[in-house]
Amino acid sequence: MPFKLFDVSKPIPERKEHTYVKHCGDPAECLPKCNSKTIPGSMTERGCAFAGAKGVITGAIKDVAHIVHSPVGCTAYGYGTKRYPTTTEMPDGSIFPVKDFNIKYIIGTDLQESDVVFGGMKKLRQAILDTNKEFPFVNAIYLYATCTTGLIGDDMDSVAKEMSEELGKPIIAFNAPGFAGPTQSKGHSIGNDVLFKQLVGTTEPPATTPYDISLIGEYNIDGDLWLLKEYFKEIGINVLSTFTGDCCHAEIGWMHRAKLSVVRCQRSSTYIAKMIEEKYGVPYMKTDFFSTKYCAENLKTIAKFFNLEDKADQVIANRMAKIGPELEFYKKKLTGKRAFIFSGGPKSYHLAIPLEEELGMEVTGVSSMFEHEDGFEKMKDRVKEGAMVIDDPNALELEELVEDYKIDLIMGGVKEKYLVHKLGIPSLLIHSYENGPYIGFEGFLNLARDMYTSIYSPVWNLLEFKETEEPDIPNVEEEAK
Amino acid sequence: MGVNIIKKDRTATINPLKTCQPLGAMWAVTGIRRAMPLVHGSQGCSAFVRYCFSRHFREPSEIAVTSLHEDAAVFGGRKNLVEGLQNVAVRLKPDIIGVITTCSSEIIGDDVIGFIKTAREELKGKIGEEAVEKMKIIPISTPSFVETHLKGYDNAIKALADHVAEPSQPNEKINIIPGMVNPGDIREIKHILRLMDLESIILTDISDPFDAPLRPSKTELKPYYPKGGTTVDEIADSANSVGTISLTKYAGSGALSLEKKYNVPAELGPIPIGIQNTDQFLRNLKKLTGQDIPDSILDERGLLIDSMADVASRYLFDKTVAIYGDPEITSGIARFVGELGMEPKMVLTGSKSDEFVKDIEKVAKETGAEIDTLVDQDLRAMEVYLKDNPVDLMIGGSDARLTAKEYDIPLVRVGYPVYDRVGYHRRPIVGYNGGIQLIDLITNTVLEKYYEPEHWKLQQ
Repeated sequence: MPFKLFDVSKPIPERKEHTYVKHCGDPAECLPKCNSKTIPGSMTERGCAFAGAKGVITGAIKDVAHIVHSPVGCTAYGYGTKRYPTTTEMPDGSIFPVKDFNIKYIIGTDLQESDVVFGGMKKLRQAILDTNKEFPFVNAIYLYATCTTGLIGDDMDSVAKEMSEELGKPIIAFNAPGFAGPTQSKGHSIGNDVLFKQLVGTTEPPATTPYDISLIGEYNIDGDLWLLKEYFKEIGINVLSTFTGDCCHAEIGWMHRAKLSVVRCQRSSTYIAKMIEEKYGVPYMKTDFFSTKYCAENLKTIAKFFNLEDKADQVIANRMAKIGPELEFYKKKLTGKRAFIFSGGPKSYHLAIPLEEELGMEVTGVSSMFEHEDGFEKMKDRVKEGAMVIDDPNALELEELVEDYKIDLIMGGVKEKYLVHKLGIPSLLIHSYENGPYIGFEGFLNLARDMYTSIYSPVWNLLEFKETEEPDIPNVEEEAK
Repeated sequence: MGVNIIKKDRTATINPLKTCQPLGAMWAVTGIRRAMPLVHGSQGCSAFVRYCFSRHFREPSEIAVTSLHEDAAVFGGRKNLVEGLQNVAVRLKPDIIGVITTCSSEIIGDDVIGFIKTAREELKGKIGEEAVEKMKIIPISTPSFVETHLKGYDNAIKALADHVAEPSQPNEKINIIPGMVNPGDIREIKHILRLMDLESIILTDISDPFDAPLRPSKTELKPYYPKGGTTVDEIADSANSVGTISLTKYAGSGALSLEKKYNVPAELGPIPIGIQNTDQFLRNLKKLTGQDIPDSILDERGLLIDSMADVASRYLFDKTVAIYGDPEITSGIARFVGELGMEPKMVLTGSKSDEFVKDIEKVAKETGAEIDTLVDQDLRAMEVYLKDNPVDLMIGGSDARLTAKEYDIPLVRVGYPVYDRVGYHRRPIVGYNGGIQLIDLITNTVLEKYYEPEHWKLQQ
């Protein structure tokens, strides 16, 4: 039986189709049902389309003011919640006046009852004027629809057009109200679509080289981008645009000038790579930089495209020499430990094989909040016989699988982290990381170290009071020698 | 001397110092034993709030959502709510479900009360009539586009008073509505009540649910319910209490409802922060319960007074302070820093409130200070203000940490949210003990910042 219904989900038997247990002989089409509407009241961990658009795609851009057209909640929740650091350096060599501007400020229309009745367009116009006055240095203003503005039917596109002409500054509207689509994934695709249609092809880069790439779907979580950029620089590849980590508004406009689009987060941003290929003929490559093996392979593939393989070999050798010995230590400590990966999307398949092959761990299951079929195909391919592949697992199912599968570590988000602890199990933040970056060589070492410190924290041996004897706590450092 | 109101000079809100109603209602429902908040809205409405709660308390925050999508926007959310209620009832078997509306379900105009009725009928076939009768399902209307999170909290407590409270035998207990304060604050209030030998009903008690022990052998699992919280029976019994004290006038509707319907006398605020406000809280307790104030409490008062005598004039006098946050906490702290001889130079709240201005007027009168007062404003307004009007100290939540860093002003963290440091949810700021915590925190912050570590002044 390739599909499993958790005991806790017996009252909602629809959940069975979403919970696949890998059986190697299964036909390819045997996959968990995904990207479909959530069962109401099922304790989902999913978010909304607004979170997907502003939270994931555009919130990483450094020189843009974001106006959330909403009652105050969505604005408050869009404020500085994701670890997307930005620098002040602009591609033309100029300096943007505020570091981490994207984390530091959020703007909203704070809609009131009267706005809901009479419409909020006037308030939106005024908010745009206020924003331009308050932050005259921003290079664009982005507007976000929310449930309220979607329902009352405010025409944000027309406001954006009108105000853009008035201010002489790009103003872009994102119509991804919270209720759109089954998950935040809908917001990713709307974000891609709007940025492609309205920006790509509208600007020219200050300079180009024969080695230009667009790095797509790299949002600089905890500094991931800065690591990757070092590798590319050493190889001789120029990151002409990033979509959208530490990038500026203008960079999106010249993505079509790259020689190659490199797609890092395949779920949230393959859309724009495809559209750029179709319209401008720039080929794209889906890549994978988590772990030493994937990072090495993919750097080589990209380098090969530019005939720079030797340089890539050097980068790889240099980094492996740097991290290899310490990684060996963690492998020794992590071997045999059972992990469950509950990521938003692609990290579930990026990490499954590396955890097993490079760190000797056992991946008991993978799951995702918002992946689509193509992502689940990869998850299924990359886990072992008997491992679970779950779409949208809910809190109760998480509890049951911890109990049934003897899990040593759950990798998830902050919403799951503390529940997992209450079950007596270590956790690791995999969306925004504990002490990242987690990408590339050094990042994989950070990840291994964080998994090690989570699992081996002495606290897990001290959970319960022992009336008669002291607990036997192994000295982990000694043992590793 | 007096209050100098600084008016908002723009329409846009930049870095809000408030959020929308549903968060307050989710907070209130979490304080009930085996309760499940069910948010009738989009998934972001629950996901973001859970994120915020978990970030602040470092605790699980289990909240259900009806997952409204496009079809509900067109045809209404009946199916989602009826199905959602049943799934929550059958799988999580809570004692009580709080159905919390959002902007979308309010705009769509869903008949929440009618849908709950339908769901209850259909549930009878699934879990039996008796179980359905026992399970409370409470509608809590929290339109996001009206007022703030505090109103959502107030609406939730009022819904409990209206739908759960039930008169029977007088019980000699005192009801306490804590408002949106931290677990440490509620524990301090309970400590005071214990010293006074009073039994109480806390409406509602998040102290354990949002600061729960990690003890797998003693934890209720599948589904996880945190330890503690006020039981449904206790809430029902609140109609029989000798009185209700709401620690905040911004969450008084439930108290007034109990007073009107069941003659339970109500006292609203002030929050017991500092000497005079805590004194008033004790007088209110005495007035409503007839219980004397024991020496043990007055000794604790004496410890705070002792600390104030020891350090306030020497280290704190005339230091200027900017205070921001929820109105009751902000005005309470303003009064306390006044008692310490400091100068509350600027106060800021995100709520629209005349009461807040009145409270600050009182502080201005007591301190002789001119207090720049920003009402219904945001954190950007404070950033702009501080640029021209520097202060020695900021007191408030984590959201202004970057402003504090920008101007190199030390920040004393209080209230919600505090996510860039640990333990603040556990430490009280209310009661005399909370005052001691605060004075230590403020004084040590001043010493860190304004005294050279090697200076002879620190020698004794």
